[in-house]
Amino acid sequence: MAQVQLIILITSVALVIIGLYSAIFIDNIIKKIIGISFIEEGANLFIVAIGYKAGGVVPILMPEMDTSWFASNAAYPLPFGLVLTSIVIGASTLAVMLALVMVLYKKYGTLSTKVMLADTSKQEEYNE
Amino acid sequence: MNELIPLMVIVPLMAALLISAFSRFNTVTKIFAFVVAICLPIIPIASNYGLHYFGGYEPMLDNVTNVMFHPAITYSFTFLQQIFIAMVGLLTFLVIFIYLTKYKEVSGPYLFLLFLGTAAVTAMLLTDDIFHMFVFFEILALAQVGIVAASSISYSNEMALKYMILGSIGSPMMLLGIGFLLAMTGSVNITDIAAAVHNGLVDATSPVFLMSLALIFFGWLYASGLPPFHTIKSGIYSKAEPHGAALLQSFTVISMISIVLVMFRIYSTLPIFEVLIVFFSILAMILGVSLALTQTDFRRMIGFLAVGELGFIGLGIGLGTQYSITAGLFQALNEITITALLFIGFGAIVNATNEVDTRKLGGLLAYHPKVSIMLLIGGLAMAGVPPLSGFQSKLMLVQASLSCGYPEISILAIVVSIATFVVFVKTYYSMFLKPKPNDLDVEHKEVPRAMIFAMGILLIIVIAFGVYPDVVTNGISNFVGGIL
Amino acid sequence: MKLYDQIFDIVKQFKKLFSPGPVTNADVSGIVTAEIFLIVSLVLSAILLRHVSVLLAGLVTLILAIVLISSIPLIPKFKIEQDDSLEKMLFYAIVTLAILGVFLYWGGNLV
Repeated sequence: MAQVQLIILITSVALVIIGLYSAIFIDNIIKKIIGISFIEEGANLFIVAIGYKAGGVVPILMPEMDTSWFASNAAYPLPFGLVLTSIVIGASTLAVMLALVMVLYKKYGTLSTKVMLADTSKQEEYNE
Repeated sequence: MNELIPLMVIVPLMAALLISAFSRFNTVTKIFAFVVAICLPIIPIASNYGLHYFGGYEPMLDNVTNVMFHPAITYSFTFLQQIFIAMVGLLTFLVIFIYLTKYKEVSGPYLFLLFLGTAAVTAMLLTDDIFHMFVFFEILALAQVGIVAASSISYSNEMALKYMILGSIGSPMMLLGIGFLLAMTGSVNITDIAAAVHNGLVDATSPVFLMSLALIFFGWLYASGLPPFHTIKSGIYSKAEPHGAALLQSFTVISMISIVLVMFRIYSTLPIFEVLIVFFSILAMILGVSLALTQTDFRRMIGFLAVGELGFIGLGIGLGTQYSITAGLFQALNEITITALLFIGFGAIVNATNEVDTRKLGGLLAYHPKVSIMLLIGGLAMAGVPPLSGFQSKLMLVQASLSCGYPEISILAIVVSIATFVVFVKTYYSMFLKPKPNDLDVEHKEVPRAMIFAMGILLIIVIAFGVYPDVVTNGISNFVGGIL
Repeated sequence: MKLYDQIFDIVKQFKKLFSPGPVTNADVSGIVTAEIFLIVSLVLSAILLRHVSVLLAGLVTLILAIVLISSIPLIPKFKIEQDDSLEKMLFYAIVTLAILGVFLYWGGNLV
C-alpha cells in the first residue's frame, strides 16, 4: 500500500515540472496561467500525500473508539487542514490573474505573452 | 494586556472588510478609515510583551520524550515586533491620510487593499507558525498586486500581472518547502521545528532538509525582491501611486525580515545558509545600484535603490553574529522610513509636474523648496551621511563585517554607499538644480499639505534614530540574543 | 587608446538604448560610473573566495578583471538582459530555482 503514496508523490513532482515547463515555453497567456497553477496543485498534492497512512482511518474520533487504537491508526489530519486553506488561496490568486488577463486582452486584442507582457520601459520613457 | 496582541491583526482586517462593504457612504468611510489608521500605531505601543495562543491551547509537555509541543497558532510579541508594527502602522496612517486628503470620493476597495496589506505584514511578523505565515504571505501578494493594478499609471496592469505570475511560481515553491519540513518534523510550529532540528531529531544533512531550505529560500527571494526578482520588484514600485509605493516597500522589507528570521531559527545550523544569504545580498547590492544609475525614470530609480538597500539587510543577517543581525534589523527599520520619505517626496514632484523623466525636469528648487530640502536630507540619510539614521546602521554593518573577518564586505558596503550617493546626487541635480527646460509647466500647482506633513514626520524619525540609535538597537540586540 | 575607444563606445551604445530621447551629461556620467562600479564591485566580491582557497581567489579575480575590462561596454548588455519582459524574468527565476536546487541537493554539505 505504500506504493500509493509513492505514486502520489511522483504525480505531484510531475505536476510541478509541467508547470515550470509551461512557464517558460508556452506563449498563450491563458495556457501559461493554467500551467503555472499546476505548480500550486502539485504542492497541494504533495502535502496531502504526507498525511496519507497505509490502511489508516479517517481522523475523526468517535465515542465508541479506543483512543490508543485511534492514535496508531488514524491518518495525520494537519496536512489536510493546511491544504484546504492553500486551495482557497490558490483559487483567489487564479481569479485575480485571469481578471487582469481580461483587462489586458481588451487593450491588446491578443493573448500572446510576447506582445502583452513585453518590455514596456522603452515605450513610456519618452512619450508625450 | 495580552488581548491586544491579536487585535493588531484583527483591527486592520475587520476595518478592511467593513470599509469595502460600506464604501457607498463616503463621509462615514473617510472618518472610519482615519480613526482606524490612528489606532494602528497606538495598539502595539500600548500592548505588553507576551505570547498569545489562539483558541487558548497552551503548550503541552510530552512526558515520554520531554519535548514541548505547541498545538495552537502562537503569536509572540516582543520589542522587535513592537517597533516594526508601530512603524508600519505609522506609515499606513500617513499613507491613508495622504490618500484621504487627495481625493474627495474615496475608493473603498483601495482602502481595503491598504489595510489588508498592513494586517498581512503584521501577522507575518507576529506569528510563530510557518503555514500561517505562508497564508498571510499570499494575502500580502494579492494586496500588493491590487495596489499596483489600482493605480492610474500606464502599464500598471501589465506589471501587476507579471508580478502575479512570478508570484505563482515563488509561493508554491515555498509551500513545497514547508511541506518538506512538515514531512520531516510533523509540525508547522517554528519553535517545535527549530527544537527538533537543534536536538538532532531531524537529520540536518539529509537532502530533504536541504531541499526544503532551497525551496523556502526561493520563496524568500520572491518575497524580498532580491535577484532574480529585482526587476519586477522595482517595477511594481514604479507603477504604484507614490504613496502606495511607500507602503509597498515597507511590506517588502517586513516580509523579508520576518521570513529570514524564521529561516534563521530553523537553518542556522547549516553553514551554507549564511553563504547563500550573503551571496544573494551582494548580488542585489551590485545589480540594484548599477541599474539605478542607468535609469531616467526617477520612480524606477528609487525602486532599484530600494532593492539595492535590501542587500544591506541581508548582509547583516547573513554574517550571523549578534551585532551584525542587530545592524541588519536596524538597517531594515531605517530603510522603511527613508525609502518611504523618498517615495512620498518624489511623488509630490510627480503630482506637481506630471512628469517622471529626469531629462525633462529641472529648476524645481525655486518652485518647491520645502520638498527639495526634505528630499535632500532623505537622500543623504539613504547614502549614509552622519548624523542621520542610515549612517548609524551602515556603520554598524561595516564594523560587524570587519569583526567577522570579512574586510572585503566592508569595502563593498562602502563602495555601494558611495554609488548610492552618486545615484541620488545625479537625480537631485537633474531634477532640482539644473536650469528649467522651457516646455516644463510648473506654475499653479501646489504640493499637497498632507504630503509635506508626512515627510516631516518621517524626517523627524530619521534624525531621531540618527542621534539616538541606542533607543532601538539595545532592544533589537536583546531580541537577537534570544534567537541565537 | 583602445581602452579610450571602448569607454567611448559605452556612450554610443547607450545612445541607441535611449533612442527616442536625448542623452544628457548627467546620464553619461551615471552610465560611466555604473560601468566602473560594476567592475570594481564584482572583482571585490570575487576576493571573498579567499575564504575557500587563496589560489582560487587569485585566479578568479585576475581572470574576472581581465574579462570584464576587455569587454567594457557591459552596462548596455546588462540592461538589455534585465528589462521588463516577462520571458526574461521567468527564465532567470527558473534558472535560479534550478541552480539553487541542484547546488543544495548535491553540494549543501560541502561548505
